[in-house]
Amino acid sequence: MTRYVMVADLRRCVGCQTCTAACKEGNATPPGVQWRRVLDLETGTYPDVNRVFVPVGCQHCANPPCMEVCPSTATGQRADGIVTIDYDLCIGCSYCIMACPYDARSLVDRTEYAFGEAATAAEAARADRRTIGVATKCTFCAGRIDAGTARGLVPGQDPEATPLCVNSCISGALSFGDIEDPTGPIASLLAENQWFRMHESEGTEPGFYYIWDKGKL
Amino acid sequence: MSTSATREIREVPSYCYNCVAGPDLMTVRVENGVATRIEPCHAAAAIHPGLGRVCVKAFGLVQKTYNPHRVLTPMKRTNPRKGRDEDPGFVAISWDEALDTIAARLRDIRARGLMDEAGLPRVAATFGHGGTPQSYMGTFPAFLSAWGAIDYSFGSGQGVKCVHSEHLYGEFWHRGFTVAADTVHTRYIISCGTNVEVTGGVCAVRRHADARIRGAKRVQVEPHLSPTGACSAEWVPIKPKTDPAFLLALVHTLLFEHERRALDLPFLRERTASPYLIGPDGYYLRDPTSFKPLLWDEATGAPVPFDTPGARPALEGRFTIAEAVTRGPDDEARPQHNVAARTAFTAMADAVQGYTPDWAGGICDIPAETIRRIAAEFLENACIGETIEIDGETLPFRPVAVTLGKTVNNGWGAYECCWARTMLATLVGALEVPGGTLGTTVRLNRPHENRLKSVQPGEDGFMVAHFNATGRKDWLAVPNGRNAHRTLVPIVGNSPWAQALGPTHLAWMFSSQAPKEWPAPPLPEIWFAFRTNPAISFWDTAEIGRAMARMPFIVAFAYTFDETNHMADILLPDATDLESTQLIRVGGTKFVEQHWAHHGVALRAPAVAPQGEARDFTWISTELARRAGLLERYNAALNRGAAGAALKGEGYDFSLAPAQAHDVDTIWNAVCQAATAELSHGAEVHDLDWFKRNGHYVVPFKREDWYLYPTMVRLGLRFELPYQERLLRVGVELGRRLHEQGIHWWDHQLDEYVAIPQWHDVPERWVQSIRDMGADPADYPLWGITTKVMPYTTGNNAGIPLMHEVSANLRNHGAVVINATTAASLGIATGDWVEVRSPIGATRGRAAVVQGCRPDTVVIPGQFEHWKTPFAKDLTFPSLNTVVPLSLALTDATGSGADVVRVALRKIAAPAEAGVA
Repeated sequence: MTRYVMVADLRRCVGCQTCTAACKEGNATPPGVQWRRVLDLETGTYPDVNRVFVPVGCQHCANPPCMEVCPSTATGQRADGIVTIDYDLCIGCSYCIMACPYDARSLVDRTEYAFGEAATAAEAARADRRTIGVATKCTFCAGRIDAGTARGLVPGQDPEATPLCVNSCISGALSFGDIEDPTGPIASLLAENQWFRMHESEGTEPGFYYIWDKGKL
Repeated sequence: MSTSATREIREVPSYCYNCVAGPDLMTVRVENGVATRIEPCHAAAAIHPGLGRVCVKAFGLVQKTYNPHRVLTPMKRTNPRKGRDEDPGFVAISWDEALDTIAARLRDIRARGLMDEAGLPRVAATFGHGGTPQSYMGTFPAFLSAWGAIDYSFGSGQGVKCVHSEHLYGEFWHRGFTVAADTVHTRYIISCGTNVEVTGGVCAVRRHADARIRGAKRVQVEPHLSPTGACSAEWVPIKPKTDPAFLLALVHTLLFEHERRALDLPFLRERTASPYLIGPDGYYLRDPTSFKPLLWDEATGAPVPFDTPGARPALEGRFTIAEAVTRGPDDEARPQHNVAARTAFTAMADAVQGYTPDWAGGICDIPAETIRRIAAEFLENACIGETIEIDGETLPFRPVAVTLGKTVNNGWGAYECCWARTMLATLVGALEVPGGTLGTTVRLNRPHENRLKSVQPGEDGFMVAHFNATGRKDWLAVPNGRNAHRTLVPIVGNSPWAQALGPTHLAWMFSSQAPKEWPAPPLPEIWFAFRTNPAISFWDTAEIGRAMARMPFIVAFAYTFDETNHMADILLPDATDLESTQLIRVGGTKFVEQHWAHHGVALRAPAVAPQGEARDFTWISTELARRAGLLERYNAALNRGAAGAALKGEGYDFSLAPAQAHDVDTIWNAVCQAATAELSHGAEVHDLDWFKRNGHYVVPFKREDWYLYPTMVRLGLRFELPYQERLLRVGVELGRRLHEQGIHWWDHQLDEYVAIPQWHDVPERWVQSIRDMGADPADYPLWGITTKVMPYTTGNNAGIPLMHEVSANLRNHGAVVINATTAASLGIATGDWVEVRSPIGATRGRAAVVQGCRPDTVVIPGQFEHWKTPFAKDLTFPSLNTVVPLSLALTDATGSGADVVRVALRKIAAPAEAGVA
């Protein structure tokens, strides 16, 4: 079995938003929609203060609450753990947006462009009307994974089979791969470091791991 | 989404050099002739220290290309009146009309002479951030070379927005135009305000992340908690502009609270001037015959010239010297008989004896024990005595470094910080060795591409230094540039980069009120501006705008309308990043932390056709040269190497015919072939088509060449530390020259020429400046400072919506950052509108209330408050530049000032224009 997961090493992340921008451009998401973004969090009281940057997005949960509430069966789950949305089935009810504990889903009901009413040539070239009026979210760049694996490439190791956010990450904070591969880099990364998953108490079993060895965030 | 079967997809190799932390390599994905996204250059992962990746700014280049607000035809001004409130009345014109208009003025100037009646160049040019526009201006450097004298003194932020003192002193002491930790080896970094996680670029971010995982410790010393502070092991919230006291106290602690043997005594004795003897008049005691500085030979118990074979120099001590001579100002030879002497090391110890941690703690608002602990940790990690093998050579291993950020490195106090930082490295032998504090590149010395080759033996056992003359006969009494860099700033020298590193705000200030002792400087008759917006990026932007409006003829290479080209007479739309051709140098050691194990060249090929009538900069340059009658000189400059590589070398000749106007591809084809022939010593020649397919060509760069130390050893040279005899002498000479001219308005700057830097009340200078403006300091109780975020830092991209959207994930984007306790005392909550006011004006923005900021400090990130640039003008963001005064009193001896101002803060109602962003 394969389960694809993302690992964010919070010791490395500098909050630069390169992954955010790479995702937006690569997936042609409209203004305001960010499938990948990096939170800027602060804890403590002056002068004992910590500031930490936390990449977030769809956690591709093993038990996805979004799928549970979806009335149209648009939200699904692949055998490799990637949570999907079938735009042809989605009715835009937003139940999934309310159910997601990770604030990972978006819905826009009209076409918007970066510079206003008119699309730039790049936006026109990438426009996908199917994403209007339906829920959208991070896909783990499933299209790249599928195209890559079909060519024998390894997600997380070969760039052409790896999510764009991981490819772009300049600090090496983001890693991706098959957690079920006992000899793979994800397994060793998690075996060798302290980690947590977000909102584990919800029983979602997220496919997104955070490496952190500095105590409570 | 359309299927791939219907799409023609190309991946075009290119580079991003939008900030000085580059260049980095990237790939442009083009679908059916439209650039759709940027990706890393994965093919370069093995040779690029950042694994072939580019930072967030590069991802804005697609929107930059298709920005509907672009200027896409040449334009001319129809309203002769200039000013912020004047409509320029720009109308579209043809390229022929635009170029012929400029060329006619150029020819007229050449007929009358390049210099005006005041001896100043009639043509001026300003380019933006850190020399990076040069990587986007094609062959314009060849045009500039063909023209001749050009005034580069009108700055866009140089001396304020750079690390100015480090540029000058760093290059003087260790060929470090910028200075970095050797992060791949280091264990401990004291970072005084260095925001490397924001401005260090892809390579530095990766290196520092790897170092953290490896267990390296970084202590971040700064008034607010930046991303770099966030990623550091410890944050020390220091009071603004007190860093000299902190660093001097660290030097004190190493000298007085630890055993002497804990220092790198061999390094100090052999590679520095520590043993040189100082006479009672403050100058080196010299051998009466050879005039060489003396040191005390412990073997013979007598003074001997510093380079005496077999001598065992005394590092410290006080001695009586029977016969010697000192070299005073203006080459005064001063005989010395039976005089008391002390070593330079002892003079340093004497000078810093009072700078205890307890003393500094009160000034810096840092517990004395914290200072002591940091000094001890620095020393413990220095690994004195250890070595490491690099490229087969055994070198000292000293994995500790001290780095300085922008405002620490600019303006008053910066000399002291630079000296103390360099001395901390020197005391433990961690200067220019693996793990230590390194220079990265040179700009005031040559050759730029290899700083090691700039090291030549000079006077007194030191590297040669190219200062501007201060002698009676050769001092330039009447400036030949509008910022008087050769007249006022000896250390900046007179290399091609020197003028832009002089006091560039003086050019703006003197354009409205020149010193009475000098002829009033006429404004340049033509001012070229490219990738620069000083009307936003400098101090006191309102005054800069007024000065700019007086310029008689401005040619602006224009991307969109902006606050600077609002004053222009001609706008020329150049093809931008994804539309144009240029080959540049990559790799080696370039600025910041671009330490590669390779060096070579990379091509920026047009991924897409230029929008509208935009033209490749090389075509524009060639046409300007042709129409101005400079074609042969222009081609000659190209043949000499003005496009980055000499076209003729040993075993190859790709020279361009001198009398012909060559097209863009012909020129760059020749450069590509020459550059590869040069790099491979003739073994490989690759043409433009090869580069369009492959993007870059590199050859190995020795890692040993990251370090200056081996070169110093090979040449038998000493670092010119700790004692600054040369600066002391030069300062006295400069003072004499100025006073002989009746000039006393530079006297405070002359105070900075001391042999061992001393604490002076640095913050008080900013408090006094409030009084000087006729205001009461009590009304301005807070420090106003600035910081950067990666999506915008030096990116010239405030009009790109993607940068705004992703930056909004950061808490301080477009905000006034305020400590929570301070905010509460003023009734301010996050999101409230606040006004930050200084005596020269006010700026407004929304509050971001945080814990990670000193209570006496507010922070305004970035440089905004645009009023013309499309999209950016609707952001209603604040800008510290609006409230920082242009001030001679706040200018240090190097000609730099700092982004610091005393301010008042209050909550206000939302302004009428709010709510757009």
